[in-house]
Amino acid sequence: MAMHVPKAPGFASMMKEGARYSQGLDGAVYRNINACKELCETTSSSFGPNGLNKMVINHIEKLFVTNDAASILREIDVVHPAAKILTLASEMQEKEVGDGTNYVILFGSKLLENAENLLRMGLSQSEIIDGYLLALEKTLEILPKLELDVGVKLTKDNLNEHSQLITKVLQTSIGSKLFGYHEFLGDLVAQACLTVSRAFDDGVHSFNVDNVRICKILGGGLLQSTMVSGMVLKREVDSEITKVQQAKIAVFSCPIDIQVTETKGTVLLKSADELLSFSKDEETGIESTIKAIHDCGINVIVSSGKIGEMALHFLNKYEIMAVRLMSKFDLRRVAKTIGAVVLPKLRPATHEEMGYCDSIYLDEIGDTSVIVFKHKKSSISTIILRGSTEQVLDDCERALDDAINNFKALTKEQILLPGGGATEIELAQQLTAYAQKCPGIEQYAIKRFAETFECIPKILAENSGCKSTEILAKLYVGHQDNHNLGFLIARNQSTKREEQTTDIICDASDMKLNELYDLYITKKWAVMYGTKAACTVLSVDEIICAKPAGGPKPKENKGWDNDD
Amino acid sequence: MSAITTLNPKAESARQAQALAINISAARGLAEMLKTNLGPKGTMKMLVSGAGEIKITKDGNTLLHEMQVQHPTASLIARAATAQDDITGDGTTSIVLLIGELLKQADLYISEGLHPRIVAEGFELAKKESLNVLDKLKIPLKTNPIDREILVQIARTSLRTKLTLENADLLTEIVVDALLTLHEDGKPIDLNMVEIMEMMHRTESDSRLVRGIVMDHGGRHPSMPKALKNAYILTCNVSLEYEKTEVNAGFFYKNAEERDRLVSSERKFIDDRVQKILDLKKKVCGDDKTKHFVVINQKGIDPFSLDALAKEGILALRRAKRRNMERLTLACGGEAMNSLEDLTKDCLGYAEDVYEHVLGEEKFTFVEGCKNPKSVTILLKGSTKYIMNQLKDGVRDGLRSVVNAIEDGCVIPGAGALEIVTHQALTQYKEQVKGRARLGIQAFAEALLIIPKAVAQNAGHDQQDTIVKLQHEYANSKMPVGVDVTSGEPMDPKSAGIYDNYRVKKQLIHSSTSIATNLILVDEILRAGLSSLRPGAQ
Repeated sequence: MAMHVPKAPGFASMMKEGARYSQGLDGAVYRNINACKELCETTSSSFGPNGLNKMVINHIEKLFVTNDAASILREIDVVHPAAKILTLASEMQEKEVGDGTNYVILFGSKLLENAENLLRMGLSQSEIIDGYLLALEKTLEILPKLELDVGVKLTKDNLNEHSQLITKVLQTSIGSKLFGYHEFLGDLVAQACLTVSRAFDDGVHSFNVDNVRICKILGGGLLQSTMVSGMVLKREVDSEITKVQQAKIAVFSCPIDIQVTETKGTVLLKSADELLSFSKDEETGIESTIKAIHDCGINVIVSSGKIGEMALHFLNKYEIMAVRLMSKFDLRRVAKTIGAVVLPKLRPATHEEMGYCDSIYLDEIGDTSVIVFKHKKSSISTIILRGSTEQVLDDCERALDDAINNFKALTKEQILLPGGGATEIELAQQLTAYAQKCPGIEQYAIKRFAETFECIPKILAENSGCKSTEILAKLYVGHQDNHNLGFLIARNQSTKREEQTTDIICDASDMKLNELYDLYITKKWAVMYGTKAACTVLSVDEIICAKPAGGPKPKENKGWDNDD
Repeated sequence: MSAITTLNPKAESARQAQALAINISAARGLAEMLKTNLGPKGTMKMLVSGAGEIKITKDGNTLLHEMQVQHPTASLIARAATAQDDITGDGTTSIVLLIGELLKQADLYISEGLHPRIVAEGFELAKKESLNVLDKLKIPLKTNPIDREILVQIARTSLRTKLTLENADLLTEIVVDALLTLHEDGKPIDLNMVEIMEMMHRTESDSRLVRGIVMDHGGRHPSMPKALKNAYILTCNVSLEYEKTEVNAGFFYKNAEERDRLVSSERKFIDDRVQKILDLKKKVCGDDKTKHFVVINQKGIDPFSLDALAKEGILALRRAKRRNMERLTLACGGEAMNSLEDLTKDCLGYAEDVYEHVLGEEKFTFVEGCKNPKSVTILLKGSTKYIMNQLKDGVRDGLRSVVNAIEDGCVIPGAGALEIVTHQALTQYKEQVKGRARLGIQAFAEALLIIPKAVAQNAGHDQQDTIVKLQHEYANSKMPVGVDVTSGEPMDPKSAGIYDNYRVKKQLIHSSTSIATNLILVDEILRAGLSSLRPGAQ
């Protein structure tokens, strides 16, 4: 740290070269708000079923075509500190619930936009923050009361019986990303999730997102995707036998080969005879091991280590199918699917350590060969996704992932809310009423908070090419007597044709009749994270940025690597 | 031009009035910068590091560290603040403010021709008198049993100046409870025995105190139990995996059978160790299904050993952190074993609840419900990195303030009360001093008022108005009065439960005086050459 005898007075001279410092309303707060607004403009056009896709090329030149806000933000690598806070909030939403990331960004930045108006009106930042936090508290109080009455009371224990309802919930989630395919994919995901949750005795309590696998295989069309109860692995079988029914399986984490010592071993031979007998011994040794395995009824071996040629020979001889998996996690999942214990040493498995599977076979989908472990009562299910390009597949995977997370959320909390912005309009109305009862200056902030909820149906309508103001007016009027009125984007039901090009209607409609359900838990966290992020951005009035690390621009470094 | 430039043409220098001006402007600039952070209503500053990491804080020390100050005077002050933080853990913003204000007041007199040396003399006298006042204001702490309420209040005072209100109140309880669990009469509290563990998860309000240990790793075998009740805990530092010999060793064998024998004998001594653990488990748990066994090892456990342990339903953790070994034995009892020879039941610790919590990729193991734990964990939760950092800094300062209070055996009324009282006392004391040194005392007394002024200003009140009201109130009641941040009116810090640490204030008065004295006595700033290696630089 080189110091100088300072020349100019003032704070700027105190800091290291290249540091930036901004302060006050104009310098910091408004600029932060602007940055968040811009971020919101980027993601808002991707919101909802009619949201548009973005083409993002990230720093390693990988191409993404998606309308999933979490992925967009992750790949564009936001640097602006205030915008980054919003991004962090949406990342957290992704971790906590797995869906509703765009919601966080939209809600947070619209709150900030409204805060800007309030600031210009003369309110101080801390007053706005106080108001927003009050409103948040009230929102969280109102939210569970808006529960949609769907005829049955969902609880943790009866989720498995209401597959119809669950399918609808998941369809709503997929509908916001892959509109048009949502019915088909929603069914698929619901089946997959329910298969998993039914496999456990304690039902949905131990549902893990990781147990629904997605296997992407290039080619075909989305509608050719299928669901398999069990595992599907993109690998080939090592042994000659490629199909086994009623399999008994042993799973090993060690190589299927001759055992070796950890310490280096040397064979000490004195004569040619000894050499011959050594090889012979080795052969008989491995044969006896494999025979023992065969004798206890095992007809499939899964290993994460190498399968030696000698061992393979005997495996073929005893008609045992051998599968080698590269990943230790895959090995654990397979063991879980079939209920086996992973053995660290090559030895016959006991009855308890063995796994059972209805059928294991090598299949070819497109030109990819896959090994399918099909088991009726499996704790893992796999969705085989088909699609024409990598990008489509990736995007579908993200949509399915969100849907699976929705199911997980359902296992935690079963309150359903009307979708399509109906909840938001209702919240806006109730909060406005609440604001009018607040005596202090915070009522302005609460009012703005209420207004912010409007942005959800508004953006939905705008993205569908409707006049948002008209729709909003319709919704507000309708909400006087129907709390479930929301903005509907759906296929025209009256002309029920099978083609993909059916008419799409976009209008205000009853969410209950159209079975569009949102999850309470998603909304709760989204509103919470959005508000907290907005308040954090507001509470900052000074920013000090150190000079970005990494030295001068790479352009100037030209020739560093050259010797000349 | 000063003489130095003839000796070394590359040297930089600033002399006399100029040097003083540089020092004063730097100190004031820094104070101005940090002024908005003081007190419960202070604002936050956002720091963006070179790598783009965000930090949002109002902790003076953190700010000074991250700002990368390069000005010589400013960095001197920053170091004083760091020293303050190291010694007391609080008062960093105050010290910067006070130094800035002392120099500002001194400047008034110096510019009128008073020699800096005389101001310095006055400062010295004033410092001594202030320390006397400080001693008189002490409020002794009840010990045996320790008054929990007052500790809560002092922790709250410290935390509210660093965090948002709700987070501060939440952490206050956690911090005090953590320390009261550890506190034993007559023994110093070791803050290292409070582990701070972060989980990026849910919101800040889910943070809590765990009377036990939380470790950031979990069992390494899929079939190990995830949650155990009523568990014996073996803490050990014994390798349960095959280790290569130090010397170069090799096996020689003639046939496959011999090799197989070697393979199993190679593992034998590890298997024996595992067997010892299994035997112990059988001994203490017997056939009782309600009793369980946990092994926490500082060294590794290989898959074979894990497998053997898992079969017996033992939860085994490998590669525990060294510092956790000490804490574990303090928390759940037992001994950290370095060898598995003669294991007895006495070596084991006990916990009611041991369970694993998985967050995405990360695993956490909770060891909870210990009998009389002497080591605890503060589990911080928060949604983002910057919230975590904020909480972590806050907890650290909160812990320090409580420990300070216990060690001092006394507290000082807060909310600017000390400054008001001292100001008054110094004004009276000034009369007894003869000569120009009394001007220095006058300056010192005025400078002290910056603390209540800044607190009032940040809360949106008029500083002058507040100060006048406070002085008036103090003159009438003769009781220490402080600023009420919500109304801007005078109030009694004792009844509001606002206390400061004695040693924080003592250190503050000491070091700010000496730094300020040093700075005003500087009459030349010199810098040796070599500054212009790069062409174009000054």
